[in-house]
Amino acid sequence: MFVLAVIYENCTGCHLCELACSFKHHGVFDLSLSRITILTKPEVQTSVQVYCLQCQDAACERVCPVDAISRDKNGAYIINYDRCIGCRECAYACPFGAISFEVEARPIKCDLCEGEPECAAVCPHDAIVYMEEKKAARELKKAKAAGVAYGLYGGKETSEHPRKKAEEAVEYLLELVEKSGELDI
Amino acid sequence: MSTSSGPNAGSVLIIDLTRGKVVKREVSSETVKRYLGGRGFNSKALFDMVPGRIDPLSPENVLALGNGTFAGTVLPMTSRLHISTLSPLSGILGDGNAGGEFSAMLKFAGYEQIIVTGRAEKPKYVFIEDDEVEIRDAEELWGLTTGETVDWLRDEHGDEVSVAGIGPAGENLVRFATTMVDKYHSGARGSGAVWGSKNLKAIAVIGTKGVEPADPERFYEMAKEDIDYFNRNEFVKRIYSVIGTHYGLIQWYPSWKYFQAPLSAEELPVGLRPQDLAEYEVGRTQCFSCPLACKDVYYLPSTGEYGTSSEFESIYALGSNNCIIDTEAILRMEHMADEYGMDVMTLGDTIALARLLHEKGILSGEELEGLSLEWGDAEGQIQLIEMTAYRKGFGDKLAEGYRNFAKLYGDEALAYCYDVKGVNRGWYEVDFINGIFTLSHATSTRGADHLRGRSWAYWENDKLMDIEAVKRMLEAGLPDYRKDPVGALIYGERACTLADSLGRCKGSINSWLQAVPLVWKYPVFKGTAMLLTAFTGIEFTEKDVIDATDRIYLTEMAFNVKQGIKKKHYDVKFPPEFAATERAKAQVRRHWELVDEYLERRGCDVETAYPRRETLEELGIGYVADQIEEKEFPEWDGPVREVA
Repeated sequence: MFVLAVIYENCTGCHLCELACSFKHHGVFDLSLSRITILTKPEVQTSVQVYCLQCQDAACERVCPVDAISRDKNGAYIINYDRCIGCRECAYACPFGAISFEVEARPIKCDLCEGEPECAAVCPHDAIVYMEEKKAARELKKAKAAGVAYGLYGGKETSEHPRKKAEEAVEYLLELVEKSGELDI
Repeated sequence: MSTSSGPNAGSVLIIDLTRGKVVKREVSSETVKRYLGGRGFNSKALFDMVPGRIDPLSPENVLALGNGTFAGTVLPMTSRLHISTLSPLSGILGDGNAGGEFSAMLKFAGYEQIIVTGRAEKPKYVFIEDDEVEIRDAEELWGLTTGETVDWLRDEHGDEVSVAGIGPAGENLVRFATTMVDKYHSGARGSGAVWGSKNLKAIAVIGTKGVEPADPERFYEMAKEDIDYFNRNEFVKRIYSVIGTHYGLIQWYPSWKYFQAPLSAEELPVGLRPQDLAEYEVGRTQCFSCPLACKDVYYLPSTGEYGTSSEFESIYALGSNNCIIDTEAILRMEHMADEYGMDVMTLGDTIALARLLHEKGILSGEELEGLSLEWGDAEGQIQLIEMTAYRKGFGDKLAEGYRNFAKLYGDEALAYCYDVKGVNRGWYEVDFINGIFTLSHATSTRGADHLRGRSWAYWENDKLMDIEAVKRMLEAGLPDYRKDPVGALIYGERACTLADSLGRCKGSINSWLQAVPLVWKYPVFKGTAMLLTAFTGIEFTEKDVIDATDRIYLTEMAFNVKQGIKKKHYDVKFPPEFAATERAKAQVRRHWELVDEYLERRGCDVETAYPRRETLEELGIGYVADQIEEKEFPEWDGPVREVA
């Protein structure tokens, strides 16, 4: 089973996933029509990703009075719009706010793009990944472990992590500059 | 459901602050084809609306804020807000662009451009929520820093709001105050004082509509290719996304002690190395729709504040050029400049010039009232920055900005003022990079500047990023600066004009590859023409794109003609000690030869530097020629001052 996972430490809040999502489903760039929402506050570098986690025991599915929500072969909860009466009960029940609605329309939610999520395809920093569940779990562990090791979760204290990464970047840069001296155009 | 507005459905908002009126005007397809958007729209509006030789701080001046053509779309890095006005710093065109989310929000609200005219009697701000536009009282906001202003507006209108506005420096008419977007994104030095002069504190916008390309599938396919390109690029991944423009500290020779010595990577002192700055980094961020994350978010332990975007320019201007190497102090100064809303380059360079004039005895100790102008005095500089923002004591003079500041001390001081058309960017030998560098400062339509053409011209940065792409560009007809510096520069200027008009970031590293969409695949402007066609539904050829950029550039030159710019203002400045040498004299001769060739190839009169009528008519803008032939314009000597 593949899962869509968000490694929030990697998200920089660029909103490309939202634009791609709304385009894929509606052919338009419109944040309110995206099934993933990135709430950003750049000054403290926090982005909160609101998206469907495809819960095992999903509140949206349980509360739907007309049984319009069911799980497909990719593990995505899909709304059957032939049945949906537009009551928005699923949106109110979702503990994560992952279902959007407008009163004149039916609710919308992540359908994993039939197994090829567009958000993961455009994410520049591997913050949204779509991978085999065991691999995803391992990626998450690695991200968290790195965070702890480098003191990412220390709050205001600056950590060793950026310095180490900057040193690597400078090293690589010097290497390239040296090489480019010989590059003939 | 969203009402998806087509690319040409956005309108122009004209806000008359004197009468408190708002008018909306549609944008025609013809205008999009001829001026693209962003900088193109703004430059045309300024040429049409601003008379020659007025005080930039008078109500007659116009403030234009333009989205790029592709704002709000998934095409990466295209959400820059272009800000243009007659600059109170230079007295010529003053424009620039800022990132953040404002431009995308404005597009989502259904607008391509905002034009502000007149002057309100009392402080105002403008609130836009889709079709609703209101001019509101801002007396409570007046005096707040940019950060406090954004917080106040978010409390009032919700977290979604995006804000462009000014801090105390703009209110106090500091001549290099900037427009600040969403707290940390600064654009267009000088424009901040124009907001202040109009009693306009901020514009807050919420947009909830969508943007729909004319040919959605085709546009999306190409845009996604462009995203993939950056997502795959090793250099982006391992360098720009990690240290952003701090990379320039290693490669771009930051100046030391008022342009006396450029620092090589080996000479870079501890405190100014990328890894020293990273000590303060707590995260990375970027503007709307950008995959690069070139901006650091830093934390200042001594004050408990967060800031972002400590760019290369702020580090050299506030730091090394003033011999300051205390990392946290530099970051603190950068943050202060953001909070007060001032341009870091003019701020840092003006203070460095003051130090030099003091050292030479041109600026006496008396007026300093005990302030120190010793090289490397970080604490003193922090004090000077605050005094400048509030025009207190000696800060009142610094607030005049670079050349205007030097003028206060007469010709002896002006000899050390390395400006072009009133704007500072250091001095360089003409021989450096085959003449392009100094030539580009001379020909920039907003005064000496590193983002108007030169960085592109010699693909210094592109070559590290993707050498194969550079080869393809050269094969496609991009002139090689080693053989044809003037041709290369004109192409560089076109690329920059294009990027500014599309809303595309000229990139954290000033490169062709970042500034011109798809240039890595379809050089040089073919990819852009394809994207424009798919997005707007208007047929664009590569020639249409080139013509549009030339139309914009020559309109800007003509705007400056109306401000009194003559051929002599295309000069190159050297320190007096160097200027007296034979080597310098030979370089000056070469510079003027290059200027002549440039003017000829741009279709301008080589004697007057005015755009020629035939050239303008060929571009379909004969009316521009009518206006500049109309009368004699008195010679430029900095901004006109009529308002007390």
